[in-house]
Amino acid sequence: MARDLAIDLGTANTLVYMKGRGIVLNEPSVIALNRQTGEVLATGREAWQMIGRTPGYIVAVRPLRGGAITDFEITERMIRLLLQRVGVSRFTRPKVVICVPSAITEVERRAVTDAARRAGAADAQLIEQPMAAAIGADLPIDEPVGNMVIDIGGGTSETAVISLGGVVALEAVRVGSFDIDAAIQNYVRREHGIAIGERTAEEIKVAIGSADPIGDENEAEVRGRDLMSGLPKTVLLNPEEIRFAIDDVVSSIVASVVRCLAKAPPELAQDFLVRGMYLVGGGGLLRGLAQRIERETRVPVRMSPMPLEAVVLGAGHCIEHYDALKGMFMGARR
Amino acid sequence: MIVAVIVIVAIVVVGATVFLAFGRHQPDDGVATFRRHIDALSPEARREVIERVQNARETGKGK
Repeated sequence: MARDLAIDLGTANTLVYMKGRGIVLNEPSVIALNRQTGEVLATGREAWQMIGRTPGYIVAVRPLRGGAITDFEITERMIRLLLQRVGVSRFTRPKVVICVPSAITEVERRAVTDAARRAGAADAQLIEQPMAAAIGADLPIDEPVGNMVIDIGGGTSETAVISLGGVVALEAVRVGSFDIDAAIQNYVRREHGIAIGERTAEEIKVAIGSADPIGDENEAEVRGRDLMSGLPKTVLLNPEEIRFAIDDVVSSIVASVVRCLAKAPPELAQDFLVRGMYLVGGGGLLRGLAQRIERETRVPVRMSPMPLEAVVLGAGHCIEHYDALKGMFMGARR
Repeated sequence: MIVAVIVIVAIVVVGATVFLAFGRHQPDDGVATFRRHIDALSPEARREVIERVQNARETGKGK
């Protein structure tokens, strides 16, 4: 008998929660393929290490962009391999709950459930990421009080107001931490004339990236390829430059939080001033982001204790209480 | 002939009883479902999942 699973199929990372066991897999959502034969060469962390460093016949790709499936066939193969790795076989077909962005279209929704069913799931249900995040962040969403959660993922940023087990207001933008990396790449190319890869851009973000001045202003040495000469070159970047480079992306995330606050009913809005908003997702780890949101909204922002796992924990809770919570699945309410 | 009529009537009566008992929504269906839903979202109900992952994290597993 297969144990049921909850999957946070993120643009950046995929996490799998197994009923009764906990998180059994946490890996980058990357797959490496042989371009000529179509054969899968690696998935997860191993495939992630290949990004931008492969010979011509290998391609390492992220099959999801902006929270949406960009390549249905590759996503299906990735889900199949993930399920195999956690013990799903032809004879053990589990029920699966998959977390998806709330702004997902009907076509994308069907693509995800079809991919999961073809990959070996007996039944595939979808749950909105901010709802799962609120459950996983241990917010008191069973009470008639306003709970606000900001989930910043690799490709999407979603803000939701939740009360009495349901979403009251929601705002989503297809902008996330990969857009921050892309903004850094573009800035370095434009202002310093060197080309850097997406992994280097991510390393710069982690090392000196911030959304608001935070006091620690160390510089970072960045190596890339000079666009004029084609030779390797090193430049120094400072945090202020990176703040300037990523400001458009950060501003659009903050603007979506403000729009969600504006949509909240007044009775719930006053709760936020006392209880604050909760930040989850890998993008929420950007230094100074909580401070920047707090400064622009004048509402306290708190970091969830397990920001990277909150979404899959919420979905995992739904798989543990499947019958009681099946009304939360996307198909059940729409 | 009479036996056949009795059998048909009995089937109709049993069918109607079953339909009335299970086919109609009880007036408290919505209340009970909502209560179950809210109870399943309570901090106590969620504690087990969160502690399971926290413990795995502390012991270095589950990553």
